[in-house]
Amino acid sequence: MTPGSTPAACAALLRRDLTLAWRRRGDIAMPVLYALIVATLFPFALGPEPQLLARIAGGVVFVTVLLAVLLSLDQLFRADIDDGSMEQLMLAPQPLALLVGMKILAHWITSALPLIVVAPLLAGMLKLPAAALPALVMALGIATPLLSLLGAVLVALTAGSRRSGMLLALMLLPLCVPVVIFAAGAVAAAQEGLPWIAPIAWLGAGLVMAVVLAPLACAAALRIAMDT
Amino acid sequence: MDFLGIPRNNRRMPASAEPPILLEARALSFSRQDEPVFGPVDFALRAGEIALVEGDNGSGKTTLLRVLTGMLRAGEGEVLLDGLRFSLDTMAGAVVFLGHHLGLKFDLSARENLRVSAGLYGLRADADADAALADTGLAGFEDEPVRRLSAGQKKRAALARLLILPARVWLLDEPYANLDRDGIALVNRLLDDHANRGGAALVTSHGAVSFAGGEPRRIRLHA
Repeated sequence: MTPGSTPAACAALLRRDLTLAWRRRGDIAMPVLYALIVATLFPFALGPEPQLLARIAGGVVFVTVLLAVLLSLDQLFRADIDDGSMEQLMLAPQPLALLVGMKILAHWITSALPLIVVAPLLAGMLKLPAAALPALVMALGIATPLLSLLGAVLVALTAGSRRSGMLLALMLLPLCVPVVIFAAGAVAAAQEGLPWIAPIAWLGAGLVMAVVLAPLACAAALRIAMDT
Repeated sequence: MDFLGIPRNNRRMPASAEPPILLEARALSFSRQDEPVFGPVDFALRAGEIALVEGDNGSGKTTLLRVLTGMLRAGEGEVLLDGLRFSLDTMAGAVVFLGHHLGLKFDLSARENLRVSAGLYGLRADADADAALADTGLAGFEDEPVRRLSAGQKKRAALARLLILPARVWLLDEPYANLDRDGIALVNRLLDDHANRGGAALVTSHGAVSFAGGEPRRIRLHA
């Protein structure tokens, strides 16, 4: 790859963010640990009846994983803005939207992918029937990038203000709701032996739209945030 | 806005063939919430020219540079790059900006930081990352995380970027800050080489600066 070409720029940025995440491995472990703790506490709080747990397992795993992903979302652009890297990204010859997309991808790989890997374990702890596992993993595989993309737009919108955490949570809530409904719906359908591909397809359609539009919106919002 | 010193071209160029204008500002001004920050400013930066932006603290030096990069939208007037109005989308890496925030990742080494910059902006034809680091006095510190370098060394690591990127216009905001005597000489040498290669640079500083190639052009901003 010639340095400065678009693929080289994407690779360089992706590699940079993954290296940075690897140098701070403890931060990657945080969301996983959080999800494990929450999933462990549920049976203690609700009582260990397998029927009850199996009925709520899908929903619990989803809410836990989504919240764990959101934990780290706030920091998506903060470090880059503070140390001047964002200025360097904006002045680079490549479209900012593409570079921002790479950053979101890196964020998804470091924060959501480990959660998808441990999700079957969480589901097992909550007695989710094995038949529903493929639906769970697939729904998570589509719902988490969708949430990362939607969240990134909001993070970019609030990047200009210092204390954006509260605002971010408020704005993200309505966007999370449909994602959770469709994803948990797919798992519930699979648990009852019904076809579960339709809600997954809806999520997929949302993801396709977000992949195209979210980086553009992010780039525009970041430009405004830097324009102060 | 006035020029102290006539706009002149002190490089080794025949006076008859004026080198092309790389960066030009026409009646450029910027206001923040109806409060004028600077301007209107007029200047043209030709290939091989180094200009010093002077002004007191708060006179808008940094703001001028950020407007020239396109990150801040100018209030009035226009900025032309190679004679064309530019935006962040059209400048395509022709401009490199070094600001107060160095744009270095502290968890990465100087060499890794350079690799990222080269990936984003491309590499100059004769450039070599290790040679650039040696040139800026960071030999032996290539693989040290930038976090462990001193403030001056961090600055040098950021300056090494200038040595390998193909950008023709350098916008340097206070490049002399944090640098020792050698470091200041290094910045001057980099600027001189850049001018001899046909590049142009705009440098802000409130200290006295001397270039090997003679007195630089001065652009003065009033507070």
